[in-house]
Amino acid sequence: MNLAAAQPSALAPAAAAAPVMLRLTDIEKVYQTKTIETVALNRVNLTIGQGEFVSIMGPSGCGKSTLLSIIGLLDEPTSGTVEIEGRPVTSYSDKELARLRNEKIGFVFQSYHLINDLSVLDNVELPLLYRAGVSGKERRRLALAALDKVGLSARTGHFPSQLSGGQRQRVAIARALAGGPELILADEPTGNLDSVMGEEIMDLLLTLNRAEGVTIIMVTHDEHQALKTERVIRFFDGSQVQ
Amino acid sequence: MLRHIFRLIWNRKRANLLLLSEILFSFIVLFGVGTLLFTFGQNYLLPRGFAHQNVWRLNISAAQGEKMPRPVLDDVLRQVRALPGVLDISLGSPNTPFRFLTMNSEFRHGNRKSDITDRYDADDRYLTTLGLTLREGRWFQARDDANPRRPAVITQNLREALFAPGEPVLGQLIQPADQGFQATGQEEYQVVGVVENVRPGSDFSGPQSGMWLRLVPYDTTHWEGAAVLVKVAPGQGPALQQRIVRTIAGVTRQWSTEVRTLEADRLDKLRVTLAPLAALAVVGIFLIVNVALGLFGVLWYNISQRRAEIGLRRAMGATGRGIGHQFLLETMVLTTLAVAAGLLLTVQFPLLGAFGGPPRVYGMAMLLATGVVFLITAVCAWQPSRLAARIQPAAALREE
Ligand SMILES: Nc1ncnc2c1ncn2[C@@H]1O[C@H](COP(=O)(O)OP(=O)(O)OP(=O)(O)O)[C@@H](O)[C@H]1O
Ligand SMILES: [Mg+2]
Repeated sequence: MNLAAAQPSALAPAAAAAPVMLRLTDIEKVYQTKTIETVALNRVNLTIGQGEFVSIMGPSGCGKSTLLSIIGLLDEPTSGTVEIEGRPVTSYSDKELARLRNEKIGFVFQSYHLINDLSVLDNVELPLLYRAGVSGKERRRLALAALDKVGLSARTGHFPSQLSGGQRQRVAIARALAGGPELILADEPTGNLDSVMGEEIMDLLLTLNRAEGVTIIMVTHDEHQALKTERVIRFFDGSQVQ
Repeated sequence: MLRHIFRLIWNRKRANLLLLSEILFSFIVLFGVGTLLFTFGQNYLLPRGFAHQNVWRLNISAAQGEKMPRPVLDDVLRQVRALPGVLDISLGSPNTPFRFLTMNSEFRHGNRKSDITDRYDADDRYLTTLGLTLREGRWFQARDDANPRRPAVITQNLREALFAPGEPVLGQLIQPADQGFQATGQEEYQVVGVVENVRPGSDFSGPQSGMWLRLVPYDTTHWEGAAVLVKVAPGQGPALQQRIVRTIAGVTRQWSTEVRTLEADRLDKLRVTLAPLAALAVVGIFLIVNVALGLFGVLWYNISQRRAEIGLRRAMGATGRGIGHQFLLETMVLTTLAVAAGLLLTVQFPLLGAFGGPPRVYGMAMLLATGVVFLITAVCAWQPSRLAARIQPAAALREE
């Protein structure tokens, strides 16, 4: 097995110990518009081990969300390779990428991204809707179990507009959990919440990581939260600085 | 997925109502246009019931205050008949086919009453001159002079209206419907023959029930004009028309004659029938194009409103194709709902027998409207759905 220690970039010892979940090599992302060329990511090398809880920090515009999109297989790097469980994703078809997102990755966003016209339960069922061979009954069971984990079993029939920000983010986490992912990508999950609710969400993510062994990569602006995670990766202007 | 889409549509019922009513509206318009089109088409395919080709219409009129005595009229008919190229000649009423002139009334036999029926006068040569097709009995003959009642020939549809199927019709009596029972014998017509249905209105009008009464003008002195039909040999033209005019002028200088072909009458009528139809078609097409553009706009707007949702679904494991299919499916489900409502509405026409159209025509119009509406929505949803499929998930999720 290829270990993280083989990588040129500095890595925390925890990553070296665990099997590799994800490896980024020389990732570059350049946004080309008519007037300007933006280098969002500049030669990023990163290895994440299974079961790690990593936080990513850096000033606004330094490329954190871009990195998460690439890790989440929602965007392609301009150059460099992304490997998931040892296999470069360029070898996957669109359909296989969608399946990987569906089965391995859960997403949590700063602005929740719940579908307002669907009930809490329907929102949480969403990842299972895109999975072949899951019956309606099974979808329901898994969604209810996920909602139970985030403590929202009583709100299944509500619509997102009837919930507080913290509750909405818990629904979003339940949705990320429902599909049983190995990796959760959270882009400023507490960014829209006050500190008390932010704390709640943070505790939830920590519990998931510890109790269920889910790998979590979280972008945050909160030093205090970042310190609770195993590893902090800092970015500046598209480059990893630490 | 279908259940998911139903739930989504149900939860967005307010937003979808506009789209639904737009589709329903185009369905109704298409149904109306289709009904007209199929009615006209069906009529067009029916036999005319007479042969108007090579039949000319002579409009002979006496000068102001002049008389039209029968011997002179007979002389005119005889001389025109004798012209080379003239095959047959007949005296009748001026309501010849395709003219903007009708005479009609309702008739009765026992307790059965007819619809509005065209009523014509015709002499013994009319059948062959106009080429009607006899089904039963005979046309008028000289021996009818002895009949105290006026002989009548009726169309098959009038027979069906006034007589039970299989009921003998020859020799039976028909009265005008508005005449009281007491006045029997006053106005009674005796059926001597039945002819195939005729469509004298226009190429696109349906069969009209008709009745010909034997013209017995022993005295025509009070006439101011006479309507004469002339059957000519194929290929005859203006030369013969002028000879006819000159021949009649040779008999009496007091009368003037106008010759027109029934074909010209047919074209006149066609023009007048087609003008409103063309206008209707233009309005219909305009409406449909409007609805299609509206639909296109609404779908486009919907998708731009739902970019974040699209990004999210991609993150949850939908492929770009899957997204396109979802939007297409959503539109098709909406269309199905609107079409179901439209069918429910339009099926009332044949069920209630509204406007008396045949159920088959309504059925075909419903089929046409369904097909075209699905086609229009599919075409309108195609491009927006492709657009949805191509939305970059990372970019869509970034916007808020
Ligand atoms: N679609 C795009 N087209 C052009 N430039 C883009 C695009 N997306 C991102 N960028 C640019 O790339 C850079 C990195 O953006 P990114 O959103 O990754 O930053 P971030 O670190 O997440 O910032 P924040 O902390 O504010 O969320 C920025 O300069 C941004 O303007
Ligand atoms: Mg960001």
